[in-house]
Amino acid sequence: MKKYTASPISRKRFLQLCGSIAAGTAIAAVSGAAATQAIRRRSADYFWQIDPSKCTFCGRCEKECVLTVSAVKCIHANKVCGYCDLCGGYYRANVKDLNTAAENLMCPTGAIKREYVEDPYFEYTIDESLCNGCGKCAKGCNSFGNGSLYLQVKQELCKSCNECKISKVCPADAIRRVARGKAYMLKDA
Amino acid sequence: MKSCMKKLIEILILILLSAAAEAQSRFPKPDFESGYQYPTFSYAVPGETLWSTVDVILLAAMMSVTAWAVIRQRRRTPVFIVSIISVLYFGFFRSGCICSVGAIQNVILSFIDSSYAMPLTVFLVFILPVIFTFFFGRVFCAGVCPFGALQELVNIKNFRLSKAVSAALGIIPWIYLIFAILYAATRSSFIICRFDPFIGIFRMGGDAGMITFGGLLLVASAFTGRPFCRFLCPYGALLSLFSRFSIWRISITPSCISCELCHNACPVAAIRPPYENKVKERRRDGVKRLLAYLIFLPVMALAGALAGRMASHSLSTVNKDIRLYRQVAQNEVNPRDIQPVDVEVFFSQGGTVDELEARAAKIGADFKAYSTAAGALIGLVVAITLINLSVKRTRKTYEIDHAACVACGRCFGYCPQNIKHQRTNDMSKKDSIRVQGVGK
Repeated sequence: MKKYTASPISRKRFLQLCGSIAAGTAIAAVSGAAATQAIRRRSADYFWQIDPSKCTFCGRCEKECVLTVSAVKCIHANKVCGYCDLCGGYYRANVKDLNTAAENLMCPTGAIKREYVEDPYFEYTIDESLCNGCGKCAKGCNSFGNGSLYLQVKQELCKSCNECKISKVCPADAIRRVARGKAYMLKDA
Repeated sequence: MKSCMKKLIEILILILLSAAAEAQSRFPKPDFESGYQYPTFSYAVPGETLWSTVDVILLAAMMSVTAWAVIRQRRRTPVFIVSIISVLYFGFFRSGCICSVGAIQNVILSFIDSSYAMPLTVFLVFILPVIFTFFFGRVFCAGVCPFGALQELVNIKNFRLSKAVSAALGIIPWIYLIFAILYAATRSSFIICRFDPFIGIFRMGGDAGMITFGGLLLVASAFTGRPFCRFLCPYGALLSLFSRFSIWRISITPSCISCELCHNACPVAAIRPPYENKVKERRRDGVKRLLAYLIFLPVMALAGALAGRMASHSLSTVNKDIRLYRQVAQNEVNPRDIQPVDVEVFFSQGGTVDELEARAAKIGADFKAYSTAAGALIGLVVAITLINLSVKRTRKTYEIDHAACVACGRCFGYCPQNIKHQRTNDMSKKDSIRVQGVGK
């Protein structure tokens, strides 16, 4: 130590101490403030979900999700569905011939399966591995049908980003964080 | 003007009536005669609380291991193992969300916005590395952070950047941090999450631009130590404040022989060689210099504040409501046949221009205040960096710049004295090198 008496080590040490105290206080203050907040506020919501009553099927969910294929998928509420033959979510509007040729169908990826049940009812099922969340069928179903096709964030696909990129471009502010119990907003629940 | 607006809204509502119509039972529920049963779907919700608990425990455990390795053991191997675990678990398995870097924004938002509830794990992910940094230096950066770990693992060679270049680039993390706080505090955007260069690599997909940027950063980090940590990471900037004053910390081997090997090995240029300042400054000159600094600092802060205030209008474009308001306003001045989707939806949901205008004005005022403060802070950072560049201190021995040191432990393997100590230690299993504290 004797060797360094001429060097400004003691001043340095003093500044170090002051800094340490300031840093420690800052940590304690932030933690304290966060703790009081945690006590005062309700528990935090974690899952991103689309409120189907607000969704306008603008199609941004398909393009804006950080995943290559969006975590937003179409969901079908069978108990709301009218099982129509002429389905606004299945066929495009104003098509020439009502057959299942691709150019007549609403879904660009062919994810909607149609199956005859009994006259005049048809059952529609979504193949989620094909669905890209574009919402075209949901728009058709909501415009002309019962609105049984709607968009939801699939929680096992969603990365639960710190800030959902879709939520920042959603024109209807339909995407928000929800509690675990409401991780899906189902129409037929 | 007002009646014209009302008319416009009415027309819009008429046009959008069909689209806006809510789910209604246009068709009755079918009466099945064939005994058709409704299919049942179950939608699984992953158990996020479990994973986030594992995250926090692993985070603390890995930082403890790193602290023990670099302060007690003075070895890099455990840090290397931690790095691999971090890249695999936090990086590829948990795909990067939530991370400590991004959690800054949640903490800021929770302090500003009383309606926002921050999950406890997010706060822990933010504060634990800060606490560990305060006690042990930047052990989080060493290898627990998947970004740092990834860059460290691909690093082959350390080409040194000149002091001026690294000082200039070193301002970027501060600016990034200040902007991140600005945009989080105005509830506009989480820019740290949006411009994350490595998340696309961990998720193996995503925004092509960011993945390219991440790839370029990785290529760069093969040839120079941790470019992201040094020149971009806002959390690193925050941690450097705390590591400057950390209580226990990494140290130069006590019996240093000034061989320079550690200095050459350091990927982040945190080891400063001895330096003798030959210019003896007279006391009066010193006082003059100090006075000049004292004038320079507020002038720079003021200039920054002015620039920030002037830029606040364009900075606020990031905010969704401001964007919508500008679109609506533009549409009013120059109505188009086909409305932008946002404007269309805004009116179809019964939004009024007055209400939107009031909201936008409030956000605009927020932006004005915050960007003035942000500008002043940026001015200060620039000024302090410039002052730091101009100050030359005498160093008698090799010293560690604890603000820059990321505790990766690369220097240990290069230090001949450290290796000698460890060999004798391994043989005798006693007389371990003591922890060097603040006072030493």
